[in-house]
Amino acid sequence: MNNPQQPRLTPIDEWEDEATAMLDGVEYNTELGLRMARDAIRVSNGELSDAEFHEKYHEEVLAEFGEDERPTKPEGFDDD
Amino acid sequence: MTNYGLVIDQERCIGCQACAVSCKQENNVPMGQFWNRVLTEGGDKIDTPSGGYPEDGGSGSLDMEYQPTACQHCENAPCVKVCPVNATYTRDDGIVEIDYDKCIGCRYCMAACPYNARVFNWDEPEQMPEEGTGDVAARPQGVVEKCTFCSHRVDEGLDPACVVNCPADARIFGDLDDEGSTVSKYINEYETDQLLEDRGTDPKTHYISGEMSPGRPQTSDKMESELDDVSPWSDGTEDVPSEAGGSDSSGSGGSHHSIEGDADPHVPAVGSGGDD
Repeated sequence: MNNPQQPRLTPIDEWEDEATAMLDGVEYNTELGLRMARDAIRVSNGELSDAEFHEKYHEEVLAEFGEDERPTKPEGFDDD
Repeated sequence: MTNYGLVIDQERCIGCQACAVSCKQENNVPMGQFWNRVLTEGGDKIDTPSGGYPEDGGSGSLDMEYQPTACQHCENAPCVKVCPVNATYTRDDGIVEIDYDKCIGCRYCMAACPYNARVFNWDEPEQMPEEGTGDVAARPQGVVEKCTFCSHRVDEGLDPACVVNCPADARIFGDLDDEGSTVSKYINEYETDQLLEDRGTDPKTHYISGEMSPGRPQTSDKMESELDDVSPWSDGTEDVPSEAGGSDSSGSGGSHHSIEGDADPHVPAVGSGGDD
C-alpha cells in the first residue's frame, strides 16, 4: 500500500515529500513543478486567483517548456 | 449543462475490488497500475482489519472499513491548472481527461493531485493478454494516465464500468446539475462527504457514510439520463421506460419512490442484467 504509483490519500503534512518523490528523475525542472503544484492547490482553495497563478509562473513555464498552454491564462494576457 | 459525478455508498461497499478489476479490464490499464482501487482503513494490509477479536468475554474491537479511491474529477482541479501543455483538461460535461498525444510526462499534474489518483507509465505498458483488454487503446510509455469516468462508455450512454459491475450497488453515476438525477437525490437526501474538502478542489465524487442508502439497481444498459421515466428505486417490474406521452397526470401509479431512511437495501432483480 506504500507504492507511490497507487492512489491513496495523503495527509497534507506528508504531501510535499510525496510530491518530491513523484517528480524525482523527471527531465523537467522538479523544483518548478513542486512550487506550481503547491500553488495550484492554493488556487483551488481560493488563496490565489487563476490570473495570479498564471502570471506568477508564465515566464518560468515558457523558459522550461517553450510554451504555456495552461487554462488559467487571463483574458487579454500578453504572452510576450 | 451536464456535469457528471459519482456517489459511492461506503456503507454498501464490501471491499470486493470488483470496481478496481472491472476498471482495469475496461480501460486496458497496464500491469502494475491501477486507476481505481479500494483502500482498507485500519489494518496493516489490504485484507486485514483493524482492532482485535474479543478476548476474555470482552467486546473486541475488530473493524474493517473501505475507501474506494480514484480520480475525483475535481471542479477546481489543480492537475488541470499546472499542465503546461494543456494535456489535462476538463470536458464540457465535467470529466477531467488527458490528451495522451499532448502529454509530455512532466508529472507536474501528479504532484498537484491531492488524491494520488494518477499513475505514470515508466516503462512500455504491459497488458495481459498482450493484445490488451476492454475498449480503450493502450497509452504509451512516458505519459501520465488516470480514471476517465469511462468517458468512452459515457459517450455511448453507458455508466462507467465500475458502476455497472459493483455487486453491492454502491456506486451511482449521473448528472450533478440535474436535480432529478439519482446522484443529486442521494446527495440531497444523505449525509455525503468529499475527500480532502479543505483543499478546495470540489471533487465530483461524493461518499455516503453513516447510513446505508437503498442502492441503485442497474435498470438497463443505458444511463439514467437517457431513461426519463425509469424509477431507480422501483422493484424491477417498473424498470422499463413508459411510452412517450402516456404518463398519468394524476400521479396515480407514479413510479418515483422517495428515499426513506429505513428503506430496504436493494436486492438486484434476477435478469436485470448489465451490459457486458
